[in-house]
Amino acid sequence: MSALHALAVFNRLPILLFMAWRNIWRNPVRSALTISALAGGLVMVILYSTLLEGMTRQMVKFATEISTGHIQVQRQAFIDDQDLYATLPWSYLQTLEQQFPNIHITPRLYSAALASAENTSTGVLIKAVDAQREAAVTQMLSHVRRGELNLAVAETLDDGLIRYNVVIGAQLAKNMNLEPGSELVLVTQAADGSIGNALYRIAAILKPLEPSFDRMGVLMSIEAYQQLMYLQDGFHELSIKLDDATSLEDVQAALDTKLKLIMTSQSLDALGGVPVVRNWRQITPAIADMLELSKTMNFIIGFIVVGLASMGMLNTMLMAIHERRHEFGVLLAVGMKRRWLLLMVLFESFFLALVSAFVGSFIGIIFAAYFEDHGIDFSASMPDGYDWAGMVFEPVMKGYLEPAHVVNACVLMIFVTLFASLIPSWRIARLKPVEVM
Amino acid sequence: MALLTLQGISKHYLQGELQVNALSDINLNVEEGEFAALVGPSGSGKTTLLNIIGGLDAPTQGLTQLNNTDITGLSEAELSDFRLFQLGFIFQAYNLVPVLSALENVELVMVLQGRHANERRERAEHYLQLVGLQDIMQRRPSALSGGQQQRVAVARALAAGPRLVLADEPTANLDSENATALLDIMHRLSHEEKTTFIFSTHDPRVMERAERIITLHDGKIVSDECHQRHHEPTI
Ligand SMILES: Nc1ncnc2c1ncn2[C@@H]1O[C@H](COP(=O)(O)OP(=O)(O)OP(=O)(O)O)[C@@H](O)[C@H]1O
Ligand SMILES: [Mg+2]
Repeated sequence: MSALHALAVFNRLPILLFMAWRNIWRNPVRSALTISALAGGLVMVILYSTLLEGMTRQMVKFATEISTGHIQVQRQAFIDDQDLYATLPWSYLQTLEQQFPNIHITPRLYSAALASAENTSTGVLIKAVDAQREAAVTQMLSHVRRGELNLAVAETLDDGLIRYNVVIGAQLAKNMNLEPGSELVLVTQAADGSIGNALYRIAAILKPLEPSFDRMGVLMSIEAYQQLMYLQDGFHELSIKLDDATSLEDVQAALDTKLKLIMTSQSLDALGGVPVVRNWRQITPAIADMLELSKTMNFIIGFIVVGLASMGMLNTMLMAIHERRHEFGVLLAVGMKRRWLLLMVLFESFFLALVSAFVGSFIGIIFAAYFEDHGIDFSASMPDGYDWAGMVFEPVMKGYLEPAHVVNACVLMIFVTLFASLIPSWRIARLKPVEVM
Repeated sequence: MALLTLQGISKHYLQGELQVNALSDINLNVEEGEFAALVGPSGSGKTTLLNIIGGLDAPTQGLTQLNNTDITGLSEAELSDFRLFQLGFIFQAYNLVPVLSALENVELVMVLQGRHANERRERAEHYLQLVGLQDIMQRRPSALSGGQQQRVAVARALAAGPRLVLADEPTANLDSENATALLDIMHRLSHEEKTTFIFSTHDPRVMERAERIITLHDGKIVSDECHQRHHEPTI
């Protein structure tokens, strides 16, 4: 019986679709207005998600390409309280580089220091990197604003002392009134407990990338760091970049296993704790949270905009059904089933939504492509971009068109409008065939 | 056994406190193949009666038997099927779906019946030819005159193969020339197809083409007479 039922609907489907398609062009102006409202809503949703996606991609890029890298390795004590002595031996780096030839690894060392120049002094954070390796992992070193990137020896003084080049953050340079070529004295407590101090030459000033580095960062070579700090035996941090970010968790697990294995042959002191392998989501949970939030935001904004636009659909269908009471009465009288009539009206909304989806995504993609190429340029008012939530955003806010978002927005719109048109369709259920005589 | 039997049909409406007796105690038999007119002044209950016969409205009291089925006992879905297969309807105006051509309008009821496409098309063309519209089958209703639209409605009603065709003032919107022409077509087809017709009218020139005239007054049958036709069909 139900199979027969299904067959009955199937047989009548073509005529219902045919009538529905013709019906939406009965009042072309009204249909065009409805389609404009829905398509306009869709364009807005696509643009919004394009800009949001652009922003989140910038955040991910910031996290993975500019400062953090995809994965980091540090010892527990370094993570907990920047313990200067919680280093990993250099042999670990060599072993890992041999074992994982397809990933890029760079070592880093850190220390707090007091910087003085002319008549100002301030607390700074020394970050020591291997310029070559670092360049393969992050873009930090390529964002020079003034001067020339150079972490090598600047000069060797008569008394045999070596003067190194350093690179500093833009805000620090401004606060201390430093220029490329200026001199800077760093004073710190070295690993052996003595007071280390040395004179450096500013080679370059970096663009603002990471707010903390911008305010107090001093970048130097590992060699220079070792000279200042008397800390030869190891490094504080490994930052790792993958060519294929989708294998993040796998590589992370493999690194973890490998490190445990290395530890059995090259044991570590107990104080520094075990090496911990974390991916960028774990290191910067705020960004990971933002990504989740932006997904939700996309959905909520989409729902609101599409929901408002589908009020237009609701109104159109209400009018269309009201106008055709007589016609529907005739159809019911001659033996049309109420549910087929209902189906026909739902097809009408579906077609309207479908046409809107095509028009809206076409226009939306054109606009989104523009934002992808040109973006919104804030560089006149904010040449350095702006920092927010511990990240620095580029002054040109570029969108990213994610095709899945367009598809999702279309599907969302079709569902919401069909749902909205169920309300007027309810009138059909109450229609009496007798009213037409 | 008559095709249609009405027993003690009454229909009351409540207008506020006041009870309107649209129909009171109607008893009527209509035989297979009859061509009957329902006449009477405005408000006498013609439409109400046709609606009850067509299962579009339920009587307050009484029994309607059509083709041995008591239609007062049918559910909405059963009534819908009953109308689809047993009855044809011609209304006063706007019978047709505006977005379908004349041919598609005639086919529509047969689509709902689930007939095959070839049979549908053949029958639709045949009946449109019988009502004289073979040359303008592809036109939409808006491109047809009122008389032509009503003829499409006749073709639609008959193509579905009903036992009984109900028509409520099918000529009300037509001039007398078109009205008599439509009646002649209906009469001829009633004979050729052996289909029973019951139609209501105000128009004396239409009335005189009926073979039986049932007169209503204040919801009661006041006369019911067989009629010798003055004119033979002209087409
Ligand atoms: N829905 C209703 N509610 C209340 N009274 C109604 C309703 N429908 C019909 N009536 C009343 O029933 C009576 C019969 O109406 P009906 O429409 O059957 O008359 P009719 O003979 O078809 O008239 P006309 O020639 O004007 O079409 C009228 O008095 C009318 O006012
Ligand atoms: Mg009437």
